[in-house]
Amino acid sequence: MPDRNKAAEAARLSRRSMLMGAAGAGAAGVAAATLGGAVLPALAAGASPAVTAGASPAVRGPHANDLQANDRPADDPRADDLSAADLAEPVVVHVRNAARGELEVFRGTAATRLQDQDLAARLVRASTS
Amino acid sequence: MSSHREAPEISKDPVADSTDVYAFVSPDRPHTVTLIATYVPLQNPAGGPNFYEFGDDVLYEIHIDTHGHGEADITYQFRFTTRLDDRNTFLYNTGPITSLSSPAWNRKQFYSVTRVDHRGTHHLARALRCPPCNIGPLSTPDYATKLARPAVHNLAGGGKVFAGQRAEGFYVDLGSIFDLANLRPFQNFNVFAKAHGLKAAPGVNATKFLNVHSIALQLPISEVTAKGRPVIGVWTTASRQRVRILDQDTGDWACSGPWAQVSRLGNPLFNEVIIPMSKKDYWNHQRPVHDKQFASFVAHPELARLLPVVYPGVFPNLAQLDKSGKARADLEAILLTGIPRGIIKGFTNFTGSVQADLLRLNTSVRPTGKPSIFGLLGGDTAGFPNGRRVFDDIVSIELRAIAGVTYKLIDPKYKVDPTANILTDGLTPADLGIPYLGVFPYLGVPYDGYGHPSK
Repeated sequence: MPDRNKAAEAARLSRRSMLMGAAGAGAAGVAAATLGGAVLPALAAGASPAVTAGASPAVRGPHANDLQANDRPADDPRADDLSAADLAEPVVVHVRNAARGELEVFRGTAATRLQDQDLAARLVRASTS
Repeated sequence: MSSHREAPEISKDPVADSTDVYAFVSPDRPHTVTLIATYVPLQNPAGGPNFYEFGDDVLYEIHIDTHGHGEADITYQFRFTTRLDDRNTFLYNTGPITSLSSPAWNRKQFYSVTRVDHRGTHHLARALRCPPCNIGPLSTPDYATKLARPAVHNLAGGGKVFAGQRAEGFYVDLGSIFDLANLRPFQNFNVFAKAHGLKAAPGVNATKFLNVHSIALQLPISEVTAKGRPVIGVWTTASRQRVRILDQDTGDWACSGPWAQVSRLGNPLFNEVIIPMSKKDYWNHQRPVHDKQFASFVAHPELARLLPVVYPGVFPNLAQLDKSGKARADLEAILLTGIPRGIIKGFTNFTGSVQADLLRLNTSVRPTGKPSIFGLLGGDTAGFPNGRRVFDDIVSIELRAIAGVTYKLIDPKYKVDPTANILTDGLTPADLGIPYLGVFPYLGVPYDGYGHPSK
């Protein structure tokens, strides 16, 4: 029988979409979460240009979809391929090991493990600010 | 309730706590099997203002292994959705609930049924209605005919499904058994009870007048068996998404991530009395195919060691058997592989060498007109451990098996201690407050909150 989670796991989030989710993440301890794309200014303040270039906290939040694609810089990480549903769905990031940059990102019925020391460090900074 | 609150973590999560699994050839429709999984244990019928319901955030599943490999070949999935019609009242119902669509019923629950098999995912039904809880004669009049019966839904292909509250059908003297393994009918032999001067007494059904939520399926045998393989292995699981976060602004919970199994149940009492407490939560997360890691607890069950100690002089042969260090191959067969051909004349429910806790049912065994509540031990091959019917006395059957009665099947020289043959907690279906039904979903009409308890 097909594993009920296998299909969901197969549809792993790209690093790009994960960054988009994390950019709107609310943080608690070593776990960061978004609830319907809530804005987290603290994270934005510590975010690297790769994540936040050209985007104010407001447009990373509930109004992100109002922004037209051609209003964005070319390197804007907010992917055009993300639908309104993508942006509305809760995304949870678990920093499993900040020193090693081990992250686990949850969305829908999928979980993706990533290694990104820079992002992990930013999330930890956000959670302690 | 053979597995209610059986592990520390799941005892804190009753909505996801699987409590019993039944699997039997339907006595009134013998071309079908009935599979029942019960959840939300120990319901006091007077449960207002918030009556019991399934979890909208829980994935309930009934699995069927048709090939003896300890994995699911067929899975039926159930997802529930609760609808609150009037957000401005504190009441579950604002008048008598006279039908499943009654506007007086404020908090309704609906569910979907999905079958997953090697051909893919098949959505069998959506938005099926659960019945309300049985509140009392004013709120839920004509419960059996107007509310429960209409909640039995037909499925394409000749199946039926029901999900909702039922009377607890499992009878057990919990109060006595978990008071230092005391069995009231034998407490004059129990070392601790004797010290208190207790005499033998009838059992007390701890589940009398309690309800439980059940998910019941009745399916053509041809839909749940592989060609030429009449034996199926059945178990249930409940799963939750791995992440759950409270949105403090709204008070709502958000769930995310893959489903993770938090509860499972195949054979009754397996996790409850076979698995040590330190591993019970872990066991609940495991799949049956990995049960070999628990086989030593079956081969050398703690309860078999305890019985001769707690009942000194009553089980000398069991004590000797335990001391010998021999593995209990009888229990391994009953619980982990099924009983091979040749052990019991004309019967087998063997599924192969893979050790897995599955409730094994040989669907080719026809229901008998005169069933024994002691199932196989009572000479009735249509009963536990060949599947499990709602009335099977699985407490007595398992007590007797662990006390050595079934060891004789694999070692004819073994002398069964006389008391082992009559071991019981002293209960029968006569100790229920409401009888079973003769038709699907077989478990009785739930006790109503007005009348239970009332005095």
